[in-house]
Amino acid sequence: MSDSSRMAAAMRRPSSLPDRNGYFGEYGGRFVSESLMEALYELEAAFRKAWADPTYHREMNEVYRDFVGRATPLYFAEGLTRKLGGARIYLKREDLNHTGAHKINNTVGQALLALRMRKKRLIAETGAGQHGVATATVAARYGFECDVYMGSEDARRQSLNVFRMNLLGATVKPVDSGTKTLKDAISEALRDWSHSVLSTHYVLGTAFGPHPFPLIVRSFQSVIGREARKQILRKEGRLPDALIACVGGGSNSMGLFFPFLSDLECVLYGVEAGGRSLKPGEHAARFQTGKVGVLQGSRTYVLQDGDGQIEKTHSVSAGLDYSAVGPELAYYHDSGRISFVSVSDDEALEAFETLGKTEGILPALESSHAIAWAIRKARDLGPDRVLVVNLSGRGDKDVMEVARIKGVSFS
Amino acid sequence: MKRQMLPPPANGKRVIPYLMAGDPDLETTRALLLGAKEEKVWAVELGVPFSDPTADGPVIQQAANRALSSKTSLRSLLSWLSKIPRNERPPIFLMTYFNLFLALGLEDFVEQAQKTGGIVGAVIPDLSYEDSHNVRKVFHEGGLSLIPFVAPTTSLARMKRIVATSEEFIYLVSLLGTTGKELSETGDVSRCVSKIREMTSSPVCVGFGIQTPSTAENVLKFADGVIVGSRLVQDERDPVRWKALLASFCNAARTVPAGSVS
Repeated sequence: MSDSSRMAAAMRRPSSLPDRNGYFGEYGGRFVSESLMEALYELEAAFRKAWADPTYHREMNEVYRDFVGRATPLYFAEGLTRKLGGARIYLKREDLNHTGAHKINNTVGQALLALRMRKKRLIAETGAGQHGVATATVAARYGFECDVYMGSEDARRQSLNVFRMNLLGATVKPVDSGTKTLKDAISEALRDWSHSVLSTHYVLGTAFGPHPFPLIVRSFQSVIGREARKQILRKEGRLPDALIACVGGGSNSMGLFFPFLSDLECVLYGVEAGGRSLKPGEHAARFQTGKVGVLQGSRTYVLQDGDGQIEKTHSVSAGLDYSAVGPELAYYHDSGRISFVSVSDDEALEAFETLGKTEGILPALESSHAIAWAIRKARDLGPDRVLVVNLSGRGDKDVMEVARIKGVSFS
Repeated sequence: MKRQMLPPPANGKRVIPYLMAGDPDLETTRALLLGAKEEKVWAVELGVPFSDPTADGPVIQQAANRALSSKTSLRSLLSWLSKIPRNERPPIFLMTYFNLFLALGLEDFVEQAQKTGGIVGAVIPDLSYEDSHNVRKVFHEGGLSLIPFVAPTTSLARMKRIVATSEEFIYLVSLLGTTGKELSETGDVSRCVSKIREMTSSPVCVGFGIQTPSTAENVLKFADGVIVGSRLVQDERDPVRWKALLASFCNAARTVPAGSVS
């Protein structure tokens, strides 16, 4: 197939994917142990039923408005635009959500599902702690017991988020296996779930894992793109030339991109963590050096060695520091609909400071990757062009880490 | 290549020890295989270490880490096995996660497994029935068995489809969960075995939670086999102790009369 006909095939009906076994083309599936399979079917049935139910959406929209603080603004970044002298840059302000990131869009949706499934307990994995905090928040709001798995290395680096989760009544369970980071927290959450499925719902935080999680998380997060599409039409009277989002597992990027997939005039950029270099273990750019494999429930691009062992990853931002990527993104990578690029730690750190100084906004280091790519693109484009960047979270959580990197110490 | 089913033991009660290849080195693995052969086990489940074993508890995770430190890979293991004389090892089921098979290539795996001789099939805990059809086809064409999993939570409708394929045995996951915990109450498992029996004549072997010979004995009163994992893995760096422990499981199995039901 030629590139354009492949693209056309991919574009026919984005909402028809995934298929009944959770595949986006050749990516996705349910690669988990048999003990979890019925729980995945139960979850899918509950989700499809709720998603078709106007009462569920009314309830969710009310929580989004009054608890989360949606709709989030689409903000014209005038200072940054002026400094670069190129394309007009808009920021989708997911950092203004309750708990400071887009993660809560998904945890609200899944908590309401868990209520409908009469589960008593929520478990979650977390890397930097944003998804853990967002899960602990809805657990407190709706009265669930809550255990959050967190790599012990991450728990040490993000001790403030551990304390926040404790204040919200959740128990943080440090994971000492493997690399002691997000990947190991997911494995441990899957292990917990396989003996607690009857009473427990696993709130997976990103558009990854076994079907139906990639579908569910993308569906809840696509509120980002739906709002952004309306907002840019109102402000500019047209669609943007490009949309930019950072890519960890894929929740904020699929959330922004999904409602724009059929708008072929909009270029979609997914920005991965380029880390220190593209050598093994120094980055998390799955589409740059990964191979197709299976990890933690999903067939997708995975950073691995020649024997199939999963490679270590590195990024200055914990939320992008993961060795696999959401299957839907893998599908649109192959079809050419989404372009994937990577941004180094240093470039992301520079963007973090640039946005602070030009706009008075400290972005999460994850989102700083998207900002960095926007800075590169905007310079090359004229002022008649429009970019929309997903500012997926606020940078408060990263201030200590940035200080450490800059050699600033507090006594 | 035609699949030939392994002959059942005299009383039909199978003991399948699980061991991690390369923990802490392949010389030890060789001694364990020989020990298992001398104990006349029906087959062994030979684990291949994976960096992210989502279905395993801490004991097997740690064994996998040690085996990875000694650079054990699926490829190197297959070529090593082909050098071990057939009379020094029982029939082997390889047990590991799907990514390792994908990385080697399914066809290459089957070809190398055939060359090795004595590899009967594979147990792949993260390959769900729904995702397994192509893999099963390639395995069967190469004369290998792909062991199907059933759990106490598996619905009757799915169970029917899962057990419809004729394989060496059906792996019944006794505990809801991961390896390494004790199976205390066998009622659920026994009921599940009865349900499977109504659907197929394939032998049903119970894994996860078989920590003592007496649990093994209880389970074998209604099942056709037990897979003993974590308990043996704890001792696998000491082949003498391991063999003595394995013998106690095998002796327990031999005392169970053929065709008994609880």
